[in-house]
Amino acid sequence: MNHRSLAFRLSVWYALLLSATFALVGAGMLYGLEQYLRANVGDSLRRRSVQVEQILQHSPAATTESAIGEAIETRVAPEFNNRFVRVTRAPATLVFRSGEPADRSFVAAAVPPQPEAVFSKAQVRPVATAYGRVMISSTPIDTASGKYLIELGTALEPIEALQYRLLSLLGLMLPVLVACAAAGGYLLVHSALRPVERMSHTAEQISVQDLEARLPVVPTGDALQRLAISLNHMLTRLRDSVQTSRRFLADASHELRTPLTVIKGELQELVATEVGRVEVRERIGSVLEEVARLEYLVSGLLVLSRLDAGDARRTWVDVNLGELAANTLEQMRLVAEDRGVQLQPTALSSLLVRGDSGRLKQVIVNLHDNAIKFTPRGGVVRLRTQQRDDYGILEVSDSGIGIPADALPHVFDRFYRVDAARSREDGGAGLGLSIVRSICSAHGVAIEVDSTPGRGSCFLLKFPLPALGSLPPAARPAEAPAEQIPPTGAPS
Amino acid sequence: MRLLIVEDDRKLADFVARGLRAERFAVDIAGDGLEGQRHLDAYQYDLLILDLMLPRSSGGELLRRVRRKQATLPVLVLTACDATEDKVRHFEAGADDYLTKPFDFAELLVRVRALLRRSPVERADVLRIADLELNRLTQQVCRGTLRIDLTAKEYGVLEYLMSSAGRVFSRSMILEHVWDQSFEGLTNIVDVYVRYLRRKIDDPFPLKLIHTVRGVGYCMRADDQAQDPGHG
Repeated sequence: MNHRSLAFRLSVWYALLLSATFALVGAGMLYGLEQYLRANVGDSLRRRSVQVEQILQHSPAATTESAIGEAIETRVAPEFNNRFVRVTRAPATLVFRSGEPADRSFVAAAVPPQPEAVFSKAQVRPVATAYGRVMISSTPIDTASGKYLIELGTALEPIEALQYRLLSLLGLMLPVLVACAAAGGYLLVHSALRPVERMSHTAEQISVQDLEARLPVVPTGDALQRLAISLNHMLTRLRDSVQTSRRFLADASHELRTPLTVIKGELQELVATEVGRVEVRERIGSVLEEVARLEYLVSGLLVLSRLDAGDARRTWVDVNLGELAANTLEQMRLVAEDRGVQLQPTALSSLLVRGDSGRLKQVIVNLHDNAIKFTPRGGVVRLRTQQRDDYGILEVSDSGIGIPADALPHVFDRFYRVDAARSREDGGAGLGLSIVRSICSAHGVAIEVDSTPGRGSCFLLKFPLPALGSLPPAARPAEAPAEQIPPTGAPS
Repeated sequence: MRLLIVEDDRKLADFVARGLRAERFAVDIAGDGLEGQRHLDAYQYDLLILDLMLPRSSGGELLRRVRRKQATLPVLVLTACDATEDKVRHFEAGADDYLTKPFDFAELLVRVRALLRRSPVERADVLRIADLELNRLTQQVCRGTLRIDLTAKEYGVLEYLMSSAGRVFSRSMILEHVWDQSFEGLTNIVDVYVRYLRRKIDDPFPLKLIHTVRGVGYCMRADDQAQDPGHG
């Protein structure tokens, strides 16, 4: 579960609000119940207290304390009713005190005497004893025989037990309820967001190579439907503009070819007929060299536009990548050695991939051309093909000047040069690596580049393997170069 | 020998025609497919050079009609599309050979001659220029009495250059003949090999045989009067 997702955050807020509401309602309920129960108890105590008051009022002044006690026992029966009764004559003469209650809900002897102040005012209040709290209603009265304080009490324990039961019930239910509600909320938000997820999943699948796919439009009539429709319109406009630019690229490189043929032909004829001065022919030659570069540029652009159009798949066969690399390197060895760079194909195992052999060869040539160009004399360019997990790996690494980190994301861009002056001198058009990328993406091959300035670069290509896997070791090509070429600097 | 060029780009057609006329061919030019069809109906041609992208009646259509009527007329197709699948498609439609723009005239001439089967290209087993001798059967190369060891690619380049002494071979022709298109434009691979070849064949000897024609390519000939400055 993503902690920052919309569904998660909504559920958390929902749960917090719900808990707060429940807590408030629970607290209100407990308080109200307590008030209600206490009022009830108070009322019943006062009613009894009136009975005791009547006994005292109607007793003649000479009535003994035991007679009063008997009258109270008879009329009120405090022990049987689990009540506490105490009658005190002012200032502090105990007239009567009831015995221990039948249910032992409190200890009558432990109820402390009331302070002086209570003689002035009738009140109902809880009194703490050593054996639990007792609710006591105290009523002061004036009779002919003097001032009395009537106290009637009952244990608070049943009310407290009820409160405790309710509290524990609430405490148990609250987390369960909140958890259920939060989970429900999460699922609800999640399912509400599912169409959005589906849309983003489809949008992920749409690449520049395939702009035909559209987002599913569910006719819900809400914001999501409108979003899908507007995104689809945007995709259509994007496709149109990509197609226009591709068509322009293809048309432009096409149209340039005929005039190039004429320019080249006429100039070559001038040079070949050997009329005119040597200097003139030299200059024409120089122009012809530029024409050759233009020619290469145009054909590179045409290759790119054709790869963009996605017509590379038609000539796919099983290609032995190891063998292809070995043969290609054989043809480039002298060019590398001429620049004082060693080509080192290591661990060249045969590896079967599906693809267009000519295009894959172009990838190997371009990667090596690039590596050789940017590796100083005495450097090494290594090639490795191997099978790793479910991928065929082709790795070209060099000990060259490397690529600065800020240039790394752009090396596959068309016409991009890390060091413009340097590579233009080498005749590079800035298309080599973008052709590599186009061919790779047409083959479903992922490219990883790693480079340390001053230490060298490494291009790693991950080919998806066909079901066949690797060839048996017997089919491996020779790893040693077949052609023996003298080392640089000492050609015989 | 009478040739018909069907090409809508007038300048290109003129340039090709001029070059072919200099090689003593009779050349007619048609600017579009319908005109081409009229020429083909009216005259007997030995070879058709056909551009595939034509106004009014496309080149492909003309090609199919030619194949229905004159099955044996050799057809050299010129086009700006160099995709393999296009080539396959047009070979299937009846093209005998295929040349992608921008091409070298020398290359066009080689193809035309090959199609007309009157190629002056040396087919002998032993090729000779001055005291340089190349034996195609044993793949041995000697200069005077000295045997020269060449690598496979160096041999390929030398054999190609010697196959027509005095003719200028462009880099792309050499590249396509000895390597393949993958190496086009990227590296100075041809120059490197020619340089190594020179070290073995020319440097130890006073008479230089390999000549650079700047901007075009290389040629081999025995006369040493026109010293080319590219040779170093």
